[in-house]
Amino acid sequence: MSLPALDDIVDHTGNPEPIDGVVRIETAPREKATPIIMEMMRSVYPHDQVFGEYCTVNDYVDCPPDELFDYLSDTRSLEEWTYSLRGFTPTDEPGLWLAYDRLGSETEIYTRTVANREARTVDYHCAWDQGTHLWMVYLMRVVDAQVVLNKPGSVVLWTNCHHPFYDNNPYPEAAPSQRPVWVGDFWDMFGAGHELELKNLKAIAEYRHHNGLPVTPAWMR
Amino acid sequence: MTSQTPVSLLDVSTYLPGEPISADYYAQFADSDELRDNLMFRAPKFRHHVAEDETAIDMVERAAAGLVERHGQDAVVGADVLITHTQMPDMPFYGGGGGMAHRLGMKPNWVIDLHNGGCAAFVLAMKLARNLLASGEGRTALIAVAQNSAGTAFDQPTVRRKAQSAVPGDGAAVGLVTLSDESPILDIECRTYGEYAGDMTLAIDPPRKWWQAGPGEACIGFTEAKITKVLARGNRQVPEVSYAVCDRIGMQPKDLDLLVTNQPNRAFLRNWREALELPKEKHTDTFEDCGNLFAAGIPVNLDRAITEGRLKKGDVVMMAAFAHAGDFAGAAAVQWGGRTA
Repeated sequence: MSLPALDDIVDHTGNPEPIDGVVRIETAPREKATPIIMEMMRSVYPHDQVFGEYCTVNDYVDCPPDELFDYLSDTRSLEEWTYSLRGFTPTDEPGLWLAYDRLGSETEIYTRTVANREARTVDYHCAWDQGTHLWMVYLMRVVDAQVVLNKPGSVVLWTNCHHPFYDNNPYPEAAPSQRPVWVGDFWDMFGAGHELELKNLKAIAEYRHHNGLPVTPAWMR
Repeated sequence: MTSQTPVSLLDVSTYLPGEPISADYYAQFADSDELRDNLMFRAPKFRHHVAEDETAIDMVERAAAGLVERHGQDAVVGADVLITHTQMPDMPFYGGGGGMAHRLGMKPNWVIDLHNGGCAAFVLAMKLARNLLASGEGRTALIAVAQNSAGTAFDQPTVRRKAQSAVPGDGAAVGLVTLSDESPILDIECRTYGEYAGDMTLAIDPPRKWWQAGPGEACIGFTEAKITKVLARGNRQVPEVSYAVCDRIGMQPKDLDLLVTNQPNRAFLRNWREALELPKEKHTDTFEDCGNLFAAGIPVNLDRAITEGRLKKGDVVMMAAFAHAGDFAGAAAVQWGGRTA
């Protein structure tokens, strides 16, 4: 007995044909699906196709996943492994941190970190210039490498979505006057930039782990 | 590499046997084949078939006619090196090199058969020719390649029904390589991926060795999984070796004047020019007219580009290909010196 998969849609459309965009073995057997797949396999993929809407970078870090999660879930770790976020201080609002993004001169960046220990997800909700609407969201997940790569350590998955505010600053009044750049000007560099930062994270965490130092340093405790 | 004695690819001439055979020829035999719709096996409009009594040696002799016409009999007869590649040797024990040399009236010091080069054999042969000539082994080398599996192995009654059989086409080519700086070979990259060497197999039902007698006709053993792997390898390897050559000659791939490759199917052709950021008009192929020409693909496409005026004196052409199931790949860049009639 098969499950009543998609029956509601069949009832709604009134015919058993698949709706547009759905490719399942029942209606697209392998000889039909394989050409579709092979058509999609290229030598290279345009930058925009890979990084345009969603910017994802991943890497392996030789450091226990729980320790890496603990480190990342402290907002102040960004002071260490990011390229340009510096000077984290707590604000009056609990959990909301203020720092400076040295990519923009005199640019304030606000961050609230939402972490879930069970899933080892660490989401940094950020924004330039103001702390009321945190729309720059860095979605990270630490995975136990034993499970996915059959070796000790962590795999870090990191995705940013291309929020429309990257293209248009919704709060221009909050920006320092005369600032020549907007964070979204760098969107096309995010793939490379985030990879560079992920390498920072890898180097720092692995150095500490390999040398018997706590991954989360004493000053953050 | 710039300090090396300059060696040039002076010219190529080619031969396509018989009248073009249209896709209908295969359509009449086609049986239901689960690989029929596979991107790898979408048939070209036409291809050529070697005639039943035509040998690989015949094909090479006919391909050499253009060189003889343009450069004189002596250019061929007097060559010091002959490097050959035949897809289906007339006689598997000893290959085709000796017979080809004799037919062309040559008495070269070197006769070498290259079997491992597969669809990239022309590039491998250029590398060998270049090194032999540069090391003082002679002044002129001839490269002869013959692809003759379409009208033979792929046209067997039980094999031509298969999706894979509508793609190959036959053809031959001869290249003239000399010690000179007229049309210099700028650089060559050849890479062997021996770990994939066993992945191309002959499927015979009932199973037997290729040399054993038996009822089943041999075809290439393709499965969906294997095709996908080969597609991924080809997608990777041809750009890889091309980039390596570009790096060394200090050129951006997108600045190449012409790309010619082997042509297993339309997907590879598209993927490779995308990878090298070249527009279609800078990537000459003959897929629709000739199908998969195996090792003859590069020289036939080069000849086509020259004939159509798409490669001009001073232009840099990249020739690149991969072989079999991905066990070998090569790329060569030449600064074309122009064809003198």
